[in-house]
Amino acid sequence: MTVSHDSPPPLLSVEHVTKLFPDVVANDDVTLDVRAGEVLCLLGENGAGKTTLVDMLYGVYHPDDGAILFHGEPLQIKSPGEAIELGIGMVHQHFELVTPMSTLENIVIGTDDARWANLPAARKKLEGLCEQYDIHIDLDTEVGMLSVGEQQWVEILKALYTDVELLILDEPTAVLTPQGIQRLFQFLRELKKNGVGIVLVTHKLWEVAEISDRVAVLRKGKLIDIVNTAETDTDELVRLMVGRDVVLQIDKEPAVPGPVVLHVDNIAAPGRSHRGAIKDVTFELRQGEILGLAGVSGNGQSALFDVLVGVNPPTAGTIHIADVDTTHVSPKKIAAAGLSAVPSDRIHQGVMMDFSVQENLILGRHRSSAFVSRGILKRRAIREFAFTAIKDFEIKTPSPVHKIRLLSGGNMQKVILARELMGHPPRVLVVHQPTRGLDIGASEYVRRRLVAERDRGAGVLLISEDLDEVFNLCDRVIVIFGGTIIGAVDPADANYEEIGLLMAGISNDSNGGGGSSS
Amino acid sequence: MTKSQSPDTSTDPLPGQPPTRPLRFGTKWRFEKRLHVGWKSEAVVLVVAILVAVGISGLLIMASGAGVWDSYKALLQGAVGSRRSILESLVQATPLIFTGLAAAVAFRAKVWNIGGEGQFFAGAMGAWWIADAAGNTLPQFLMLPLIVVFGAMAGALWAGIAGFLKARYGTNEIIVTVMMNFIILYILSWLLSGPWQAPEEFYFQTVKMPESTWMPTLFADGRLHWGFVLAIIAAIVVYILERKTPLGFEIRGLGINAVAARFKGISVARTTIVVMLISGALAGMAGMVEVSAIHHRLQLDISIGYGFIGIIIALIGRLHPAGVVATAFAFGALVNGATFMQITTGTPAPLVDVIQGLVLITVLIGAVVVQYRIRRLSHDG
Repeated sequence: MTVSHDSPPPLLSVEHVTKLFPDVVANDDVTLDVRAGEVLCLLGENGAGKTTLVDMLYGVYHPDDGAILFHGEPLQIKSPGEAIELGIGMVHQHFELVTPMSTLENIVIGTDDARWANLPAARKKLEGLCEQYDIHIDLDTEVGMLSVGEQQWVEILKALYTDVELLILDEPTAVLTPQGIQRLFQFLRELKKNGVGIVLVTHKLWEVAEISDRVAVLRKGKLIDIVNTAETDTDELVRLMVGRDVVLQIDKEPAVPGPVVLHVDNIAAPGRSHRGAIKDVTFELRQGEILGLAGVSGNGQSALFDVLVGVNPPTAGTIHIADVDTTHVSPKKIAAAGLSAVPSDRIHQGVMMDFSVQENLILGRHRSSAFVSRGILKRRAIREFAFTAIKDFEIKTPSPVHKIRLLSGGNMQKVILARELMGHPPRVLVVHQPTRGLDIGASEYVRRRLVAERDRGAGVLLISEDLDEVFNLCDRVIVIFGGTIIGAVDPADANYEEIGLLMAGISNDSNGGGGSSS
Repeated sequence: MTKSQSPDTSTDPLPGQPPTRPLRFGTKWRFEKRLHVGWKSEAVVLVVAILVAVGISGLLIMASGAGVWDSYKALLQGAVGSRRSILESLVQATPLIFTGLAAAVAFRAKVWNIGGEGQFFAGAMGAWWIADAAGNTLPQFLMLPLIVVFGAMAGALWAGIAGFLKARYGTNEIIVTVMMNFIILYILSWLLSGPWQAPEEFYFQTVKMPESTWMPTLFADGRLHWGFVLAIIAAIVVYILERKTPLGFEIRGLGINAVAARFKGISVARTTIVVMLISGALAGMAGMVEVSAIHHRLQLDISIGYGFIGIIIALIGRLHPAGVVATAFAFGALVNGATFMQITTGTPAPLVDVIQGLVLITVLIGAVVVQYRIRRLSHDG
């Protein structure tokens, strides 16, 4: 579809907006507008300044320079509360919900309707909205009991309830199944018809093509271009986004699976919080293959990762690495048995932010004889190891003694990869969301490394919520839902419909277990 | 490309409305966090912090009616004015180096050992007990190392209890160590009023240790003893431990990110206990030197709060062994100079406690302030 070029007045104009942070210019002279009844995608890599920009529209930050006009009037809001009053709604990447409260309470909280007397009217209005937009959410259920996808609808309802004119969604599809994404997009089209302007922050190209009317591409804080979606294609968007041509498809030979290197049998374990426990997980990982574990976040992936690494002792079941029983042994012994792991949360689980690059590189092997002699750390050996790692893994750092906190996410991830692979090639490599938050170049690098590890003879378990990544990289794919493995799909088919049903808990065979949720 | 090339001409405002001009503010100043703090800024902030503390203390001296200049001059003279006063300042600094190191090692691992005072007493009791029990039977060259070991072990055990409780049951080490300060004091006062009280003695104190168990002095004049050398060695050992050994690597790692440490096979429980043992041993050695080198007997007033002052010293010294030694010397000198100041000018000696507290506050404020800078935003366009 094409957008008529002359008419609708801009609902929102961003005029030469600049926002500075101490180390970076987050937005540099950005100018764009949003019209009523259109979907504008903000496309860019991590760190391109998308979130900063929408946070300014929502009153979280204030521009250091430039102006934002809403309905032609300068937007002078000091807080999100004022933005909401003006009719600007936002659905954040990380939900802002009070989990012990019901949906209804979450929506009216902070408004005048939170009073008892107004509740029936509020309920009526919400029921009307749910009907109008075909949203199925029980208003009286505790929000904490809802799935992540449902919680997102609560956030959306919150925005609708305050008569939103401009709706901002920051990476809303990350927590959804393919079917969930279709429903969200259907809803956005409805909203568009009613004249709401929509800003969709994303870094996924196919979403841009599917839903947007125009797309604004940001790179390193600068607005690179605004193009009509109908007049562009994926290649051009990638070029604008990254600044060069990128191969999106990873080339790999067919897998040559060997013997089983990781047996996971009927494992159960608690989750990090009250959600996300694993109940009964069984699978086998073979040497020389990449096994994908797909699923919507919060279905037990973190608990499983913790169990495999050894920081979360399972309450039932057994784990074997090759022939070694590692069910109840320490993380150190699991590592010694040949398991390396890359956690999803680099900053909190992966690195020591106040350690240098070289200290992070030896973390976990700091007692190995390669780095210690007579109780003292071998300075020179550590330095040499670090130089090799920096070279082999293309880590961009001024020096090995540079604090790792000053490195970019991609380079941090390379440090972690080097730490997990160099000098002690693993039998089993478990990676959890290994490209989350990385730019395209670094993601590409990480993926190629995973394939290289597979070809070397490691069994690679890729726990990921990114279906494109799963289908692109994996030789086999299993799906986790509600703490159990609910089924398997063939990545060669790349059937999004099929995997989406599994991710939503709808099993493709009778003995899959788990119920339907959404 | 630097400017967005106004990509879509239809984004102009409505006809009839004035075209919107970008708002250009004048020069603005921004208060923002630094990414990197250089040692020069740190040094400047430290000097300024000390000057501020000294300045405020000067106001207090004025309020007390004494002359500011004379008081400070007397303080300085009493602290470092002569060979004798320097040696005495080092004597005062010795237990502070130990308790400062004790706090610094623990805090490095983010294990909050506030029980240095109790561990000081535990070390003093261990040292006196072995000296009393074996002092007349063993030769001096065996006795002295044994006293050091017993003092350190007693402190380590007392702290180790808190470490074990934290590692095993997740109890809050701040509360446990603070409470254990009281427990050991009450145990000591019971011992001093009964089992350990010197016979035929009116005061609550033990008998003197045999002279062969006394920590020898370094020089013919003054009280400076081998405990000071031990303290300096301890500082060097702590430095090597923290910076050059795998255990120190783990201790620092625990302090930076316990989750990542656990993921990489570092046992948080074990490291916590080890840190507490090391910290307690250091605090215990403070008590040990005070008993075996200065008092030669146990009394309830052998500490002027060394364990607590050690916490202040560790924080001002930025948890670095060299910083701890320097700060401990400064504090020891203050304590030493205070008496001279009181005698010669009449300025109350407890003012020194105020100065110590003020320095801590200004240095801690400085440590935060130094992380920020004020940047001028200017527009070239």
